[in-house]
Amino acid sequence: MRLEFCWFCSSKIYPGHGIQFVRNDAKIFRFCRSKCHKNFKMKRNPRKVKWTKAYRRLHGKDMTKDSTFELERKRNRPERYDRNVMENTLKAIKKIDKIRHDRAADHIAQRWKPKAAKERREARKELEQSISLIKAPLAIQSQEPAITVPKIKVKAPKQQTVEDQLMEE
Amino acid sequence: MATRLQFENNCEVGVFSKLTNAYCLVAIGGSESFYSIYESELADVIPVVKTSIAGTRIIGRTCAGNKNGLLVPHTTTRVELQHLRNSLPDSVVVQRIDERLNALGNHIACNDHVALAHTDLDRETEELIADVLGVEVLRTTIAGNILVGTYCALSNRGGMVHPHTFIEELDELSTLLQVPLVAGTVNRGSDLIAAGMTINDWTAFCGSDTTATELSVIENVFKLREAQPSAIVDEMRKSLIDCYV
Repeated sequence: MRLEFCWFCSSKIYPGHGIQFVRNDAKIFRFCRSKCHKNFKMKRNPRKVKWTKAYRRLHGKDMTKDSTFELERKRNRPERYDRNVMENTLKAIKKIDKIRHDRAADHIAQRWKPKAAKERREARKELEQSISLIKAPLAIQSQEPAITVPKIKVKAPKQQTVEDQLMEE
Repeated sequence: MATRLQFENNCEVGVFSKLTNAYCLVAIGGSESFYSIYESELADVIPVVKTSIAGTRIIGRTCAGNKNGLLVPHTTTRVELQHLRNSLPDSVVVQRIDERLNALGNHIACNDHVALAHTDLDRETEELIADVLGVEVLRTTIAGNILVGTYCALSNRGGMVHPHTFIEELDELSTLLQVPLVAGTVNRGSDLIAAGMTINDWTAFCGSDTTATELSVIENVFKLREAQPSAIVDEMRKSLIDCYV
């Protein structure tokens, strides 16, 4: 039994799932489900379809270069079976899988990091500029000196005096 | 010594077995008779390994090898590859090749020094052949056929090719390969030479349909008559030791 990878979305294909297509040039395409198979028949390029691993790796959304990928490379020259080597390999697989998982999660966390600082900066600016949408500036001034809001200068309209009004009549 | 046998009533023994100077691969048959004939001839000299390639029994035509290495197609499963690696001696390098032309036994005819290859093989495959088998690779055709592995049976001491090969081509190939060549048939006139027989430096296995004439031609060109494994060693001793003090 061998767990293959879907040609379109790169997910693992478990036994009993999916379809294999063999082209006339003897290239084998394996698909995990009909979604991937139908996308292939529509001649869609997986590198342009957002939810596939191929797209994510190409656009830097997922980790691409790491030494942990060396474990799952295809090897064409086998080595003689050795019990100790097999035992060590089994232990190593578990460890390396965990490391790869953690590193992939780190990669995504790194991508999200600048977002928090940016959000805070934007929030501060918005607080400075648009606080008047929530509370009137005079109310803020009298109530809480803690909120450092710059005093907004409002041009007062010219007061019409009684004499002017009598003049107009 | 040439032996006549059948694989499940089929005379194409070169399809179901692969014989070299260092090992012998045999297909998994319904009855043990095929394997037991090889075993009785070869068991104490070289390892005889029962195997399948890509789940099929046509192992003689899908793999190519000599005493230095064995090349298998990319359709070989991981399990079969591991089985081959475990059963063959360490001096033999087992290598899986990524090549569109899968039936390596039909595309490559080789002995321990030189190999004939199909004209359309990839460059990387050619390099791998030269590297793994330790041979010089020549891209040729035989009697206009590109499947050199089927129409030519090669050993270190001689070779047999397709019966319709021209004499000039025969001479040219003979000088390139440095072995005597003859154009002959096997299995009562079949021109698929390598499919009808497997050859070694000291034994040959042919289909049971092979006539006595064909068998004598084979024994002559491959110099099998006096060749027992011990005979080879004695001959070498004679050439190496100058004089007895």
